[in-house]
Amino acid sequence: MDLSYAHSPLLAREDFLTVELDRFQGPLDLLLHLIRQQDVDVFEIPIARITDQFLTAIKNIRADQLEGAGEFLEMAATLIRIKAQMLLPRHEGEEDQDPRAEVVRRLLEYEQIREISSRLQSAEAERARRFGKGFVPTRPRPDPSDTPFETTWDEVFEAALRVEMPESVDRRHTVASRSVAMEDKVVLITGRLADLARIEFSRLLTGFDDKMHGVMTLLAGLEMSRRRELFLRQVAPFSELWLYRRAEGDETPVSEGRAASSEEPEMPRGMRRRPSWMKPEEPEADDPLGLLDEATDGEPAFTQIPSLHTEEPETP
Amino acid sequence: MKVTQIVEAVLFASDAPLKAEEIARADGALDEDVVEGAIRALQSEYAETGRSFHLVELAEGFQILTRGEFAPYLERFDTIPRPSRLSGPALETLAIIAYRQPIGRIEIEYVRGVACGGVIRTLQDRGVVDVVARGEGVGRPLLYGTTQRFLDHFGFRSVEDLPRPEELPVVLRERIPLGAEESVAAADAALEGTSHAAMVDAPAADAP
Repeated sequence: MDLSYAHSPLLAREDFLTVELDRFQGPLDLLLHLIRQQDVDVFEIPIARITDQFLTAIKNIRADQLEGAGEFLEMAATLIRIKAQMLLPRHEGEEDQDPRAEVVRRLLEYEQIREISSRLQSAEAERARRFGKGFVPTRPRPDPSDTPFETTWDEVFEAALRVEMPESVDRRHTVASRSVAMEDKVVLITGRLADLARIEFSRLLTGFDDKMHGVMTLLAGLEMSRRRELFLRQVAPFSELWLYRRAEGDETPVSEGRAASSEEPEMPRGMRRRPSWMKPEEPEADDPLGLLDEATDGEPAFTQIPSLHTEEPETP
Repeated sequence: MKVTQIVEAVLFASDAPLKAEEIARADGALDEDVVEGAIRALQSEYAETGRSFHLVELAEGFQILTRGEFAPYLERFDTIPRPSRLSGPALETLAIIAYRQPIGRIEIEYVRGVACGGVIRTLQDRGVVDVVARGEGVGRPLLYGTTQRFLDHFGFRSVEDLPRPEELPVVLRERIPLGAEESVAAADAALEGTSHAAMVDAPAADAP
């Protein structure tokens, strides 16, 4: 190998470039660096020497760095090709076609770009010294935890004395256990049906002023019906519900056949009434409290449950 | 109310450059010429009365900015992190795009000699370049160009404010693209007395 460049300071410290390859932004950068370092004329690049230096600089690129180093290797290949072309004898006509021309052109172009970059950098810095509206931030809100707590205990106490305490209201809330047992209602129904063949549901509620009695009585009725201990009968929605005694083996209400049809709890459609709790917004036309649970002249009469008409809010 | 006052009010309230035609929208009696006249009046008024701000032509519009000499005071308020300056590779790539726009990635990479995909994406994220067209070639490559934000970021009025190649002190002057042979001789002459290594610390291109 040509030893004419053996004195090159670069080669004296062979590893210096390989270590710092990251410093260069690419093969053109490295090439420019090599050329400048030795103060050689860009247009008379000693291609053999520069190529060797370039190869030295990149020779320690490891296989795992190939991704970033591909560009350096490509440039190395280009330089080697140029070097070979320079060695080949040239024909007369091609004399002025310097094989280095393209690399030189790229180098010069790159250098120009570098110059422009540096000017852009200055422009950027200069621009950054001038501010438009909104640069000065709005005053930051102080962190509450950093604010000293200046109130003394005396002040707090004094303030406390000035506070008019509200009259103590009994805010206790009692949750009552279910007060009405279904079993009681079963007993009640059974007792009443022992005397009567049938009874109106509303009548079973007479004397009880809690909605829960209505609910439990109904549940008891349903349960007894399920156990085949009685029949439930209602001729139309919202009309009176009748409970019929049921003997063992009976499949029809006692009144069937035996009782007069006039005693059937039939009500004309227009007269149908509904319990107020089912449709409380519909005001009752009649005075519900005036209604008695006693059926006059044998006709079943609808009986209101007195407590259902109170406007008290429901309490659990 | 004077036209200059209206224009001043609009510019005062804006935190970005406004074009003359945008300012003219403030009042039916305004048009571009009137606005520009008012701007010139305001510019000289600010200069004469020694205000700490000036009305600059920036990114194809106008904006009131503080004067550079007050930066040391204002920077004390710099509690909001500002976008950092562009890196070396980003500036190089941006320079290529600015001078050659619209330009595709492959050409940019040929000039820089390195892959530029990531850098271009960064520049796009910063809003200084954008895809402006598609090339004719295979795969219709994306072509990049600079944006208004680019002009604002560097304080240019328009791309005409970019440093002209013939102003550059380096080697090349108007030698891009070089024809192989004649360029060698011509650039050789240009090289006389110029150190390649010298990176001239150019004065910033500044809006008046």
